[in-house]
Amino acid sequence: MNQDIHIPALARVEGEGALTIRLKDGVINEILLNIYEPPRFFEGFLHGRYFQDVPDITARICGICPVAYQMSSVQALEAALQVTISPEVRQLRQLLYCAEYIESHALHIYLLQGPDLVNQESALSLAAEAPELVKQGLRLKKIGNDLLKTIGGRSVHPVNTCVGGFYRWPDEQAIHGLVPELEWARQASIDTVKWAATLNYPDFEQDYEFVALNRIDDYAIYDGDILSSKGKRITPQDFEKHYTETHVERSNALHSHTVDNSTYFVGPLARINLNYKKLRQIAKETAREIGLKLPLRNPYKSLLARAIELVHTSDLAIELANAYHPQGPSHVEFDIQPGEGCGVSEAPRGLLYHRYIVDEQGMIRFARITPPTAQNFAQMEADLWALAPSVIKQPQEEASLSFEHLLRSYDPCISCATHFLKLHIDSE
Amino acid sequence: MNQFPNGAKDEPSSIIKIIGIGQSLRGDDAAGLAAVRFWQERYQANIERPNLQVELEELPGIGLLSLLEGSSIAILVDTVHSNSIPGTIHLLSNDQLEAFTGGASSAHGWGVAETLLLGEKLMPLSMPEKIILIGIEAGNFSLGESLSPQVELALPEVARLIEQLTIRV
Repeated sequence: MNQDIHIPALARVEGEGALTIRLKDGVINEILLNIYEPPRFFEGFLHGRYFQDVPDITARICGICPVAYQMSSVQALEAALQVTISPEVRQLRQLLYCAEYIESHALHIYLLQGPDLVNQESALSLAAEAPELVKQGLRLKKIGNDLLKTIGGRSVHPVNTCVGGFYRWPDEQAIHGLVPELEWARQASIDTVKWAATLNYPDFEQDYEFVALNRIDDYAIYDGDILSSKGKRITPQDFEKHYTETHVERSNALHSHTVDNSTYFVGPLARINLNYKKLRQIAKETAREIGLKLPLRNPYKSLLARAIELVHTSDLAIELANAYHPQGPSHVEFDIQPGEGCGVSEAPRGLLYHRYIVDEQGMIRFARITPPTAQNFAQMEADLWALAPSVIKQPQEEASLSFEHLLRSYDPCISCATHFLKLHIDSE
Repeated sequence: MNQFPNGAKDEPSSIIKIIGIGQSLRGDDAAGLAAVRFWQERYQANIERPNLQVELEELPGIGLLSLLEGSSIAILVDTVHSNSIPGTIHLLSNDQLEAFTGGASSAHGWGVAETLLLGEKLMPLSMPEKIILIGIEAGNFSLGESLSPQVELALPEVARLIEQLTIRV
């Protein structure tokens, strides 16, 4: 090239998020949080598509949690088509979900939120300061991605999941061959919890209503009923009766509230607070070792909850991988019939709800996708209002960072969080 | 129109990875994927070369580092946004990539440039000796499956460039 070119940013522009805080006479007058939200597009895009294409299409909503979109969609479609999967398929789906938790949590802990809590501008500057720490995070993430690839065929957007099971069983030896790395991951996760316990978390607690999946026999990730910290327990079929979405004029994202018009909080804090007793023994032992006290009401401590879930999911993954001996068909055969069904699972960043109506040809006639980031949206705004008085007097750059740190602790969906965040403070 | 970045080594046995990056449902953001597929179709004979490996990934993020492993030379094909005319083809080597990160002081812009910088910092020995980026200027990032006409028209030229690079390096 014979002249320099200036390209301010590579593509991946998806995720324009913006925060505007308006002051009037030195007092906060308005807080506007705007996050671009792709699932709404997908709801329309799915209309008229063949049901079996849905898992792979919805997986493309997010580069970090494609498995969650697949798991909620296949469960919804299996309910609509009255398909019952085998126990072996359920276990393999749980293992696939473990892979996603490992890669997603490692990314958020070490590369997204972690730098905020050690006063680093970014993972790049953290890597200069503490390269071994970031390397540990990258290796953890890679182990998750390798497991994802072994089961799903690809390390980012898996393509093996189908309504009724999996297109094919992953190679048994390949799954077993990952166990030594998963054992390393389990120890690294324990170390991660101990490191996370040493961090300085901002002093900020709110009285949240936590909502997460719950099972009697298990730490619910793949499926379960929906439990609230206010004591309400409902089945997935009743989700839309109790949690509603409304359009807010200033935003292109829908805002979720409980039917009583309260905000609520989904994600790792909700899961840990509601389901702590169901964690794997080794995760509970690690939590006890650091003196974890529940409930956690500080959103920044989501990082701690994620670290404990890393221990849980890597330990569970070892058990499921060792027990993997595929037998029989990898998916069930079934007749197409019209129907309606919903499915809900715990994406790494919180509860993910899908509902579909399928016609007699197997075509999608209606799709509803309620992602965790949208459910937390109103809660994030409420938190900004609570935080704003203490930071608004800081210099603009410092204030911007404080707001960013808070929002980042929610781990908003990466497709929503990329290139986050532009701050505008308007004074009148 | 293009000059090849300096430094590509003549090692016929080394692994060359051609990595198409993008999002297939975000308009022109699919250009990197589309261009690599176009090259595969048009120059099919050459993709049988054992030292050539092709990867197509949507939003690989940090996972790009894993994709690069084991290659001596990587040719990345991705969409770029620089206020040039849509369809403009940019050819850059990794020592020029830093220019791409302008304004990306955000911890979260895990685009190609930031990921490569992290890789160089943490695992320099695992990185390819040479990384070449073919950037395709995008015009339209709205949701949907189709490329804008100017970007569509650039695909044969990008495919020709990929082919030349795979032969040359």
